[in-house]
Amino acid sequence: MDEDILQDFLVEATELVDQLNEQLVDLEQSPSDRDLLNAVFRGFHTIKGGAGFLGITPLIEVCHRAENVFDKIRNGDVEYDAVAADVILRAFDVISDSINLLNEGHRELPENNPTLLKELDALTKGQLAAPVAEEGASQPKLSLPADVDPDGDMTDDEFEALLNQRDQLEGGAGVAVSQAEKALQLPEGLDPDGEITDDEFEALLNQRDSLDTLHVGGVAQTPSLQLPEGMDPDGEITDDEFDALLNQRDLLEMSAMTEPEEEIPVMKPVAKPAVARAQVASDDDEPVSSGASKAPAKPGTTESTVRVDTKRLDEIMNLVGELVLVRNRLLTLRTTQASGEELSNAVANLDHVTTDLQTSVMKTRMQPVKKVFGRFPRVVRDLARKLGKEIELELRGEETDLDKNLVEALADPLVHLVRNSVDHGIEMPADRIKAGKPKKGTVILAAEQEGDHILLSITDDGKGMDPDVLRRKAVEKGMLDEMTANQLDDKAAFELIMSAGFSTAEQISDISGRGVGMDVVKSMITKLNGSIDIHSVLGEGTRMSIRVPLTLAILPTLMVSFGEDNYAIPLTSVQEIFDYETGKTNKIDGQMMVRLREKSIPLYFLTEWLAPEKVKDDYAGDKVVIVTIGNQRAGLVVEQVNGQEEVVIKPLGMMLKKVAGYAGATITGNGSIALILDLPGVIHRFQ
Amino acid sequence: MNLDARQKLSSFQAVDAGLDDDGAYAGPSARCVLFTLEDEIYGIYVKKIREVLRVGKIRQVAGTPSHVLGVINVRGVIVTVVDTRTVYGMPRKPVTDLSRIIIVELEEEQTVGMMVDFVMEVRDIPESRFEALSSTKENASRYIQGIAHYQNNVIILIDVDNMMMKLA
Repeated sequence: MDEDILQDFLVEATELVDQLNEQLVDLEQSPSDRDLLNAVFRGFHTIKGGAGFLGITPLIEVCHRAENVFDKIRNGDVEYDAVAADVILRAFDVISDSINLLNEGHRELPENNPTLLKELDALTKGQLAAPVAEEGASQPKLSLPADVDPDGDMTDDEFEALLNQRDQLEGGAGVAVSQAEKALQLPEGLDPDGEITDDEFEALLNQRDSLDTLHVGGVAQTPSLQLPEGMDPDGEITDDEFDALLNQRDLLEMSAMTEPEEEIPVMKPVAKPAVARAQVASDDDEPVSSGASKAPAKPGTTESTVRVDTKRLDEIMNLVGELVLVRNRLLTLRTTQASGEELSNAVANLDHVTTDLQTSVMKTRMQPVKKVFGRFPRVVRDLARKLGKEIELELRGEETDLDKNLVEALADPLVHLVRNSVDHGIEMPADRIKAGKPKKGTVILAAEQEGDHILLSITDDGKGMDPDVLRRKAVEKGMLDEMTANQLDDKAAFELIMSAGFSTAEQISDISGRGVGMDVVKSMITKLNGSIDIHSVLGEGTRMSIRVPLTLAILPTLMVSFGEDNYAIPLTSVQEIFDYETGKTNKIDGQMMVRLREKSIPLYFLTEWLAPEKVKDDYAGDKVVIVTIGNQRAGLVVEQVNGQEEVVIKPLGMMLKKVAGYAGATITGNGSIALILDLPGVIHRFQ
Repeated sequence: MNLDARQKLSSFQAVDAGLDDDGAYAGPSARCVLFTLEDEIYGIYVKKIREVLRVGKIRQVAGTPSHVLGVINVRGVIVTVVDTRTVYGMPRKPVTDLSRIIIVELEEEQTVGMMVDFVMEVRDIPESRFEALSSTKENASRYIQGIAHYQNNVIILIDVDNMMMKLA
């Protein structure tokens, strides 16, 4: 495989897979949307084309069949209903997994599951029969979507009937089929007992093969290629169809088979019926939501490239040009003893250019939040189907841009929250009707920019949370005593669900409540310097709002100092600042504590660690910065508080990676280096 | 630290083209930056070196091992400065006008600064002058890649990747 071409293909395919993920679910909502249908068809077609070029056979097999199905759907021969969607989505998962494997550097793909291929073929073939074999209306169940059992299995009976339909069709469609074919099949293929054993089947196929070989002599090859696929009733070949046809030919050549291609779709799955059946069982163990459960695993493979609009690059190039001009200006000024005014003009210009440049470069890291949202229609669809709920997912503000790293980091927490909404939030349809709500629940996933923050919210119109139940649970679990619990206001009660070890689900379902709970979500969001807020009304629904900074690279901090040394404390952790007063402190068990509104908070004297030579007896005049670390609070005693500053985080490099207590460093306005404190690490140093 | 204070390697002129003591060509050679610690001469392959800086303000970092002097700002990149003297067990010495920080590039785009007493020159050392080194424990602990006898000097070639990996 040519690695360069493969990489190009993967970039394109990854994008297509992302698009298809969304389009497929949309299509289920509006199956008659021609544009959408064409887009999906083109998606599979393009992936197949690339895979064909590179000879990735397992991928070609699936794409080819999926494309066939969608061609049928386009022609109105097949309906894209939930059952068909399940098959197609599973095929899509195979494609998506294959692309992921290739992206991760694997070059050998696993063989396709024959059952899936069989089902895809059935999807195409069975429906193909429907319009022609109208007299077969007595067996409408056999025609396509219905004959694929939800369990994914196909009984021998069904298969047999399917074959009959095929044969009838081939006769009816006038594919220059000799009567010999029918004659051959009937006596040999059909047992009086109506069952086909594997052996019989094999024999049947062999006969057909030999028959077909005979055909080829007499029948023009091209029509026989085109007809069985039933491309066009109008007898005209469009470009797309022609392409498809060519691809089929290619496929045929690739698999080095000598039969006319009409056989291929059937041949493969049937050739190993025993294997196929053996795998059905294990297949069924995987629930419909296999795609959904895999979804959160995706962000593990982080992309190392970004696509940037050339316009943005031009903008940057232009600004760099400006920067060079300013530099030249400054160099000239240096040699010519320029006046102060000229110099300050040049410096002001430099200020402008660099600020613009910084913004432009930052923008190249921005990606639309759509990248995360794109997976949710599928997650919700699969979950809802599995749980028997009816849910509509609404996406808002998909075009909102945020930092690439954030896009990746937010994926997991969001998946968890959306699953929670679907699983615990939205009620069963019957319950909803009883409660006087529309049968179909709504989950809204929204993103919007709020100054230098992004606000993400997950809103559902489900049953909401009962603060009293939460209070009671907290007491039952021994997390709070009854008094404290009763004193919590509703908001604080909702926040209980984010404490470790708090799961109110009576029964742990395999969808949410797998131990990885809201506490993990909260810690992930906190790590991104974000916050999470819960609002819920019993009976009306729940709204979870996540607020994260636009970028991970810039951190709002509180600057503190000891003499000349600056330190930055992440502002999200800072609660309040007050003067150190000896009267308010006391020593308990060797630990200094400070009393704040009737509560005792441990005090840590940063000097002891940061500048041991400066440790003094009297800290009067110093400041106490109260910070929150997880659920605890601590007071840090610092010499001076210099105010708020937004800083660019710079890594400390490998030599200092093992030194605890620092999250990085930054360069302050006056050019000196400030160290950014990592609060959990700092506290750890003192314990 | 202003631009003038930054002395790029390219400004070094003392490059002789791999000639031996008598001025005759002595085969392929390795280009090295030579510097001193006390009165020993050390060398680092030039391709491992990004630049040589005068010593500006070094920000100390509490809690680091003794061989780490602190961090400096090299055009927006925070670079750790290692006291090469301490690494080789020599006592610390105050910074002088001759002191330099050699910025070396390690694998995976990491950079580290090495404080040295004095940077001498860039020199092509004929590969034939390098001596294979017995891999004794002592040599390994001194991160030595090889030793060259050249123009009446003994040059100790440092394996910086190895050194920094062990120190990190």
